[in-house]
Amino acid sequence: MANTETALKEALASIEGATGAALVDYTSGMALGTIGGGKSFDLNVAAAGNTDVIRAKMRTMEHLGLKAEIEDILITLTDQYHLIRLLSGRSGNGLFLYLVLDAKRANLAMARHQLKRIEQDLEV
Amino acid sequence: MAAEPEILDELRRLRARLPQLTGAVAAGRDGLVLAQDAPGVEPDGLSALTATTLAVAIRMTEATGRGEFRELLIRGADGYVATYAAGRHAVLTLLTQDRVNVGRLHLEGRRAGARIGELVDAHEDAHGRTAHGKAAPDGTDREPAAREAAAHDTAARDTARPAAPPNPNQSHHQTQTQDPSRPLPTRPVGARTGTDN
Repeated sequence: MANTETALKEALASIEGATGAALVDYTSGMALGTIGGGKSFDLNVAAAGNTDVIRAKMRTMEHLGLKAEIEDILITLTDQYHLIRLLSGRSGNGLFLYLVLDAKRANLAMARHQLKRIEQDLEV
Repeated sequence: MAAEPEILDELRRLRARLPQLTGAVAAGRDGLVLAQDAPGVEPDGLSALTATTLAVAIRMTEATGRGEFRELLIRGADGYVATYAAGRHAVLTLLTQDRVNVGRLHLEGRRAGARIGELVDAHEDAHGRTAHGKAAPDGTDREPAAREAAAHDTAARDTARPAAPPNPNQSHHQTQTQDPSRPLPTRPVGARTGTDN
């Protein structure tokens, strides 16, 4: 089991092409922890914005009458991938992991697999 | 006030960007409304209460060595009240529903506060307020501002009271805050000026 800081460090270190990561509470839109990003990429802005993405998707699913849960969301930009992975399990309820990848360096399938493992290992 | 339409623009923009926002009031630190976009809310009462809360918040940040006042977040069962510093003379108070994205509320609130602060500060620098005395001259830090805010705050409360008697809740809050706020400003503020200089 890893805590927030360890999990984020691991995401950035072990996932090829990762440039930033955050653990976000989507009931409030605030980040519990961030790593990377830098001056040009404010992860707190991303946390708030992607909270809206998740809320919109959840509302849509509710309107469609879908009972399933969101596992992850992939957003593909011309030069980046953004991966959103919702935490399962009681301690992670209402939280998601957010990962920014450089599209040129990243292996999407591997990144998704590794993020899943980090998520399962994370104890908040 | 000449900057008012621009401040109002800023408040309207906020409403468009934050759907869960139910009201926005820009007020002077003395408790006077500068601009408001808050249907169903009594803006004079709200800004007077803001000034009272602000005075306590400023003393709190000073007493605990947290520096200049930046923001204040209050959560009730049905929503949030957030107050952001807007330059040297004003604050921005936002009312939201409970399901607001607080991360976004902070981002938008801080940004709008800074912009409104620029507008108000530019206006104040150009025209000044002789009736209110000079507010926080640069160089000397927050102490005079805090003392002044406290002084204004009592003045604002006195003038606000006859305006808002129908709301028993409000006057109750006001009388409650009056007791702890009265004796405080003289001591910590006075003690601090001694050690600072």
